[in-house]
Order: sequence, then structure tokens, then C-alpha cells
Amino acid sequence: MVTEVQLFTEGGQTWEALAPEITLLLGVVMMLIIPNLGDAKWRIPMTQIRLPVLFGGKRFRATSDPQLPAMLAVATLLTALWQAVMSQSGEGQTWYLTSGSGAEANLMLRVDAFSRLMESVFYIALLLISVAMIDRMPAKRGKSLQMKQMINNRRQADFYILLLMSAIGMSIVTMAMDLFMFFVGLEIASLAIFVLVAFQKETPEGAEGGAKYFIVGAISSAVGLYGLSLLYIWNGNLQLLSNSVTGQIGLVEAWGAMDGVGALPLLGLCFVLVGFAFKVSAVPFHFAAPDAYSGASAPIGGLLATVSKAMGFIGLIRVLAMIASPEAESSAVWMMGLGIISLVTMTWGNLAALGSDNPKRMLAYSSVAHAGYMLAGLTAYGAWIGEGNEATTGAGEWILAAILFHLAVLVAFKLGAFLVLALVELDGPITSSKDLAGLAKRDPIIATAMFIFMLSLAGVPPLAGFMSKFLLIGGIVKMSLVDAASGVAMSDLHWTFWLALAVFLNSAISIFYYLRIGVVMFFDAPPNDRRKPLAHAWYIRFTIWACLTGTLLIGLNADFLIEYCQTAAATI
Amino acid sequence: MSTHQNANFKMGEREMILITGFFAIIAILTYMFPSLAETNSAGQIDWITMPLVGFPIIASGVLMAFASMASRRRKHNIEVPIKLASLFFSLFMLAITTSLFFGILESINWDFSIFNSYELEFSYAWNTTLGVNWHVGMDALSFSMVWLTTLLLPIVMITTWEEKAGWYHHPLILMMGGALIGVFVSLDLFMFYVFWELTLIPMFFLILKWGGSERRYAAQKFFIYTFTASVIMLLGIITLYFLNDGSFDITELTRSSQAASDRGDVWLGAKMQNALFLMFLLGFLVKLPAVPFHTWLPDAHVQAPTSGSMLLAGVMLKMGGYGLFRFCVSMFPDALVNFQWLLLTIGLVSLVYGSLVCLGQNNLKKMVAYSSVSHMGVITLGIATMEPLGFTAAIFMMFAHGIISPMLFAVCGSFKHHYHTLEIGAMRGLARHSPFLGVFMMFSWMASLGLPLLAGFVAEIAVLIAFWKAFGWWVLLPGLTLVITAAYYLWSMQKTIFEGGLEGELPESLQGESPVDISRWEGSGMMIMALLIVLFGILPWIVFDMMSGYSLAVFTGILGFGGV
Repeated sequence: MVTEVQLFTEGGQTWEALAPEITLLLGVVMMLIIPNLGDAKWRIPMTQIRLPVLFGGKRFRATSDPQLPAMLAVATLLTALWQAVMSQSGEGQTWYLTSGSGAEANLMLRVDAFSRLMESVFYIALLLISVAMIDRMPAKRGKSLQMKQMINNRRQADFYILLLMSAIGMSIVTMAMDLFMFFVGLEIASLAIFVLVAFQKETPEGAEGGAKYFIVGAISSAVGLYGLSLLYIWNGNLQLLSNSVTGQIGLVEAWGAMDGVGALPLLGLCFVLVGFAFKVSAVPFHFAAPDAYSGASAPIGGLLATVSKAMGFIGLIRVLAMIASPEAESSAVWMMGLGIISLVTMTWGNLAALGSDNPKRMLAYSSVAHAGYMLAGLTAYGAWIGEGNEATTGAGEWILAAILFHLAVLVAFKLGAFLVLALVELDGPITSSKDLAGLAKRDPIIATAMFIFMLSLAGVPPLAGFMSKFLLIGGIVKMSLVDAASGVAMSDLHWTFWLALAVFLNSAISIFYYLRIGVVMFFDAPPNDRRKPLAHAWYIRFTIWACLTGTLLIGLNADFLIEYCQTAAATI
Repeated sequence: MSTHQNANFKMGEREMILITGFFAIIAILTYMFPSLAETNSAGQIDWITMPLVGFPIIASGVLMAFASMASRRRKHNIEVPIKLASLFFSLFMLAITTSLFFGILESINWDFSIFNSYELEFSYAWNTTLGVNWHVGMDALSFSMVWLTTLLLPIVMITTWEEKAGWYHHPLILMMGGALIGVFVSLDLFMFYVFWELTLIPMFFLILKWGGSERRYAAQKFFIYTFTASVIMLLGIITLYFLNDGSFDITELTRSSQAASDRGDVWLGAKMQNALFLMFLLGFLVKLPAVPFHTWLPDAHVQAPTSGSMLLAGVMLKMGGYGLFRFCVSMFPDALVNFQWLLLTIGLVSLVYGSLVCLGQNNLKKMVAYSSVSHMGVITLGIATMEPLGFTAAIFMMFAHGIISPMLFAVCGSFKHHYHTLEIGAMRGLARHSPFLGVFMMFSWMASLGLPLLAGFVAEIAVLIAFWKAFGWWVLLPGLTLVITAAYYLWSMQKTIFEGGLEGELPESLQGESPVDISRWEGSGMMIMALLIVLFGILPWIVFDMMSGYSLAVFTGILGFGGV
């Protein structure tokens, strides 16, 4: 963990650092303009000359194409993804972006392997969602049951503009080195996602889910901001790292240097953590999640479960870096509290998922459970720092890499499961597991894909989900073997070992409801209104295939991704 | 018609599968031959990686994909070619293992074992970041299990040829075989765990698709029970991994354990070794299954189709016994000594409790399932004797039970198939109505209760001798249990085969149909198994010698006190 930076020593303030974000911004601007281009003419007064002004009027055939915004979004995201990956290929470069220069140079953004990795993950997820939504809001009347009212492509453009805006916010989140900057990014993304969740406003569930998610989200943001203000009062700035140029002390160092724990920073930190806990849907801030997941269209549910959660975890990693700084005496107490939260979160999530029949709600609760697993990882990370780094070398990096790995591979199987639901959803909304019944008869390949996603979520080898669970548990166990020489007794194990056991027992509970989906799909007769084969929607099928390939390939050989995550974790 | 189709051509799954399948076949062909050209330091060819593990799994995937396409088009009856292809592949695997056994492919002397040294050992890097290797190899223990698996696969396919329809039944069995062999040949803990879990999936589908009326409950119970136990084992695996500087290598771990016991140390410390032993033990005892953890087995067996039961009892239960030898005995010798009482208790309780519960059953398949629990208790007892002969007997029991119990389930299966009931006493006079089924039933029942000159007898008598050596007159306890075994077998035979059988006494489940005898397919499968049972009963040394060599190697290698 770096606590202090020398500004402008490596790299500088270049446009290349922000190339993906600039691309996204250009994409948004293009999307505002291009779908509105038409044959409007302006007659020069007193003459018969009509000059084409292009903006408005009857739109051209090309610009009125309902799929145009989707194509634009896909192109934009692909370009941004390419830029993000290319800038980090080979020798990874780090850029420091400051708010001013000279003695006022506050470090605002740091572009490094970590941010590039998370950006790529976000862009891939959004890309899959964009492709899956290409034909969901068609211009032709009656082509889709779900979105009957959305008959003009303005709404389509709105959707993708919001998606790209959220992408910009997420990019800022991955790079922010100043907590205020972090919150700005988080809010840009969150506001866009609030609207996306409520996009099915015609259905009562959509409206309900959207409203709940917005209200709870807004409150937790406000609480988080209040916490930030307290931290600002305490430290005088919200920089994470100390700055040798301006002489400012960063929050990490300030927290470590503190005698005992002051009430003000503690309160501030608690409030900030509440804001993030909502994002990762940790118990007890998870209540809006199931409603939001089931009210939103399935791909947006996938967005909430993967990308939105990942943003929350980036925040937790950043903030916990402060709490768990090696000098902080109080970190052990903190970690115990976090451990209890993680235990409650995973158990509650799994038990609630056992009892929910709606596949979307089930996936929402499974998302809560997964948040619990990762919180267990963070607990062990904090405990690792608290015990002193030299005890078990590499355990902390291992855990962080495992969390990043998990956030990355979630895009393959969690989003994949939601995309399968999106395909089924084309025949009518999904309200219970009966709507998935007989899927194997209607479409064996999609049912098999869904079953593989479920097994991956449960952590069955050799799928990607197993690898991520394996790495996470591995990190916790590695951490708990504090005295790793031979002759270690069980009583010498750190208490986080039992957290690892809890994760395992929980995944044994979870196998029950994941299997249930498989059983329903393969061995139940389809309901009467869902007997026809599934819609031949190539755009959704393509994304499902992509997710399936990712799940299998990463499961079979995760080498490159683990290495990438380890590189990224080292730069945090 | 064809132009019409072309006009509406869409890139669908079928085409995707076609392309994927095409590339898969190309990949098999291009990958398999170089891997066969590979030789290890002993100059042996890699007969394991592709021919025995990779090939059945990939081939069954390709077969299922093609069959799925063809069955959706409903043009041809794809079932028979798919079954024939699966049978062909399994015979191919059997040919390889049998030639390996007789030293045709490689000159391997299986009777001569050195502790922790493996034949056909090959290692390829899989995940370099974690240090996972595709590391395979066989010693006498794993080879006997692999041979048993390959023996059973074609037998299962032949026996259930007509019973269960469906194009993915036989490929699933093939896939199951590949995964099971993967468990037995893995010398890398990570790989071992992957295959250990992979075996669950085909079995889950076999039970769910072709099982009885309560199949859903049984399949989920089966999956959840074994999954829960194996995640505890996984925790043990991960702990072992980090305690040994990131090594999953079973040979390396065993070597360091051996080195520690040669020095007189307790490997990893006494408490940690005990804890790891218990974590692994739990996974294996549930799989075996031993008595407190056995409740999934009767449900799974009763609901599973014949093929599923045959594989489950024949090979899948042996995964537990195999794991006990490979890990609990070979890696944690000190903990094994500490927990000898536990194994002894569990073994005795399984043996006695299993037999007693058998007496109370009126469902034929359930009775056979509980008799499996009882026989698995013999394996635990064999290990608990801590005698080379006990170990040998346990391994031979695994082998013998692997041939006898599939036959029991085959008989139950044809009983169910032809008489639509499994209730003992509902069908009487089998000897009159279905003489062949009656003969096979009697034969397999006799084999299972341990009639001399049949394979089961050898294992039981060897365990009793070892038990007598270790614990003296306590041998009466397991010995008397055999009387109970004889009682329930004889009682069920008497009720089913010999009593009654007048024309008017047919069971109601037949609904007036005239009773039929077993079909040719069932008959040939059972006949092969019967011949094998007689063969290994009269000439047990065919495999007994190599098991004996293995047990002695284990004793001289790690347990420190050798000699018969």
C-alpha cells in the first residue's frame, strides 16, 4: 500500500490517460446529435432558397433507425475498451492527474493497472448489456411485449446515453484518489443507474423498484456525503495519499498516525461505509436490492449485480485501506465488526434466496451472499494488515487480487444468468420460477447455459465461479495461517479461518437454490403460455454465448486473469 | 424445400454447435496424437491424459451435441448410433486398461509397488500462477480402480441398452467414466477436486432424468450431501496447500510426509494433522458412505435408474475408499493411528447397523443399498485393522463390491423393469415365471453374502483374518454380522424366488400381463458380471497380488512397521 506519492515522477498529465473517458463523452454527444438529424430546411428570408440545417424535421432513413443508438454505444464502448486495454498492455504505465499545478497540485485521479482493469471489466459488462438491449425497444409497434409503449427511438437513445454516462462515472470511481472525486464519480454513475432501474416505468414493479432504489440510494448517498464532510473537518482534505509537493497529509497516513480512535473520524468513516454498503447491498442495507433487481429489466438487473456492486467494493477497498493501515491500533476491533457483518450478510442472503421463488429476487439475494463472501475477504485483508505484513507475506495482495478476480468474473456468469432471463423475458415478465419451467424443452442450449451459470455461481469446478471462490478462500486461509511453519496447531489459527469455513458452509446452502433452477428448467413442463421455442433474438443469444465462453475458459485456465489481477492489486 | 430453408438461414445454436463440434473433433485429433507421442522419464507413453480421461469427456460432449441436433430435426433415429458409439468408446478404454494390466502396451509389473511411486506419471503445467499441474499417474491402488471403472462402463451400457431410452443416457455414462477415472489418476489436489465434483453432474442428471417418482428429492439430496462434505475437504486442501508453500502435488506432499515420519516427526504438527485428517475424512466418509452420513445413499439408490445405481454403487462409492487410502492413510499416518478407534467404531457400526436395517426393508433396492452401506463398513474396518492384510482386503473389497453390487442393481433393475415393482413379496415364484432372472438373482445374492469361490468371500475372509490378528476374539462381532447378512439375503430370496408362483399369484403391478424374462441385453450384461465374479473368486490373485504389494509398500513406506 502506497501512502505517499511523488507527483509527476512517472508519466505526466497526458490525454492518453483519459482517452477512454473522452471517447465516452464524445459518444454521448454523438448520441445526442446523430439520431436527431433530419431533412429540416431553413428558407433564407425573401428568397426561395432552402438551406438544409440537418437538425430536426423528418429524420433520414439512417438516423431514424431504432438500432442506431445501440450501434453508437457499442462502437463507443468498444473504442473505450480498446483504449483502456491498449494503454496497459506490455509495460503498465501510471498517470497522476492533479487538480492544479505546483504547490496546489492535489492528486485527483491516478490511472494505473487497477483502474484500467476495473474500467475494462465495466466496459465489457456495459458492452454486453448494450448488445443485449439492441432490439428490446423497437420502433415497430408490437414487436416486443415488454416495451409496447416505447415506440420511438428517442427512448432508445435515452437508454444508451444513460448507460454511457454511468460508464463515465464508473471510470472516475476506478481512478479517484480523492474521496470527494470518488463520490462525484459514484454519483454520476448512480444517478444514471437510478433512471435505468426505473426505465420500465410502465409496469408497477418497475416503478416500485425504481422509486425504492432511488430513495434508499439517495439517502445512503447523503449519509455518505455527511461522513465525508466530517472527515474533511477532521483532516482538512479528502486526499487518500499524502502529498509531498503540497505537504498535505492523506487520510491513510492521518488515520494511522492517530492516537486511539477519535470520535469525529470514526463517525465520518462509519457514515462513508454506509454509503458503500448500500452499493454492495450488504446486510442491513440490502432491502431495496431485491425490489430493484426484479423491477428493472433483466440486463439492468445484471448491471446492478455486477458493475454497481463492483463500484461499491472499490470504495470499500479504498476506505478500508485507511482503517486497516498498519499503524492503526484499533483495526482488530474494526475487523471483528466487519467479520460479523460479512457473516450476517452471507447467511442472510443465502437463507433469503432459499425462500424466494422469483429467479430475479433469488439472484438478488445470491448477490447479497456474494457480497458477504467478499466482505469476509476484506476482513481477512484488514486482519492481515493488523497482524503486521511480515507474518504471512503476500496474503493481503492475494486477497485483493481474489476480490478483483471475483468482480471481474461476475460479469461472465452473473450477468450471463441475467441475460438468459432477458431472453426468457421477451415472452412476458418473469415473476416466479415457473416461468423458467421446461426451458430445456424450449431451448436446450440456453437451458444448459443457464445451468452452467448456476453451477458457477454455486462454485462448482471447473467453472469461473469456483476459481474466484477458491482464490478468495485461499487468501483467507493463507492469512489465517499466521505462523505458517510446521507444527502449527488449530488453536494458533487466526479467527478468520472460521470465516473461511462459514463461506464454505454457505456455499453448500446456496447449492440448493441454484440446483432448484436447474431442476425446474430441465424437468418441469413449461407453463401453457410459454410453450413456443424461445425468441430467436441473436443479440441476446450472442451475449449469452460470450458469457458462457468466458465462464468456461476462465474456469479452465484462469492464469492470465489471475496475473492481471495480481498486478492490479499490487498498485492499489 | 432446401432453397426455402436457405432463404431463411439464420445463425442458430445448431450451426454454432456444428462448428464447435467440428473444431472440437479437430482439437481432439490434433491434441491426442502428440500427447500419445509424449514419453516420460521411464519411457512410457501417456495413455492416461487423453485416452482415458480427456477423450471420454470430450467425446460424450460431442456425441450429446450431435444427438441433440439430430433429435431436434427428428429425421433419423439417432439413439442406436449414439449408443453404439458410446459402447465403442468405452470398449476402447477397456482395451487400453486391460492391455496395460497384462503389460502389452507398457511393460509394467503391477505386483511390485514402491510407496509413492507411480507408473505412467505425466505432468503438464495447467495454471502456473497457482502452481496447478495436470499431473496424472497410476499405482496399483488407482490402477485397480481405473480398471474396475473401464470394466463397468461397457457392462452398464450393455445391461441398460433397452431399459432407458434417450440419446444422452449412454454419453452421460461415458462422461461419468471419464470423470471417475480423472479422480483416480489425479496426482494434483486441485485436479483431484475438480474431477471429484465433476462426477456429481452426470450422476445428478442420470437420477433426475431417468429416476423413480421421488427422483427430484433424491437427486438434490445426493448433490447437496456430497457437495457439503467436499467443500469441507476443499478447505482442508487449501490449508494443506498453504502449509506446504503452495504445492498441490500429491506426490510431493506424500514425500514430505514420508520424510517427516522417517525423521520421527509428526508432519505439520499433531493438532494440524489431526484437523486435516478429519476434514478429509468427512469428505470420504460421506462419499463411502459410513453410517452417520449414509442417509443420502438409500434415497439416491432407490430413485436412481439401473445405470445410475450400478455406477454409483460400483465405482462412485469407491471414490471414498480410494480417498481414504490416498490421503488419510498415505499422508496423515500419525492421525490415522490417533483415530484408529474412530475408524473402527464407524466401520463396525456401519457393518452392523447396515445389516440390521436391511432386515427391516421391504423394498428390494433399498435392501441392496443398505447392504452396500454394510459392505463399505468392511472397507473402513479393513483400514482400521492397521494390518497389511486388512488394507489388501479393503482394496479387494472395493474391487469385488465394484463388480457384485452392479449385478445386484442390474437384477433389481430388470425386476423393476419387468414386474413394475420392487416390493419384496409382491412378486413370488420368480423361479417359475422368469427362470433366468431368478438364477441371476440367486447368483448375485449368494455372491454378495460371501459364498466361497465367489469374489465377495475372498474380501470378507481376508478382513476377518486381519481383524483377528489385530483385535483377537473381537472378530466375533463382524463375524456374526455375516449371519445377519445371510439371513436377510436368504429371506428375500425365499420370498421372491421360491415361494408361491402359481398362475393366479402374479403381482397386481403386472395388471394381468404375463410375466417376461430378462432380455438378451440384460442377460449378457449380467452374464459378464457373473463370470467376472467367479473369475475373481477362484483366481483372486489376479488382482490380489498387486493390492497386497501396494499395502506392503504403504506399510514399509510410511506407517513404519511392516511385515505380514
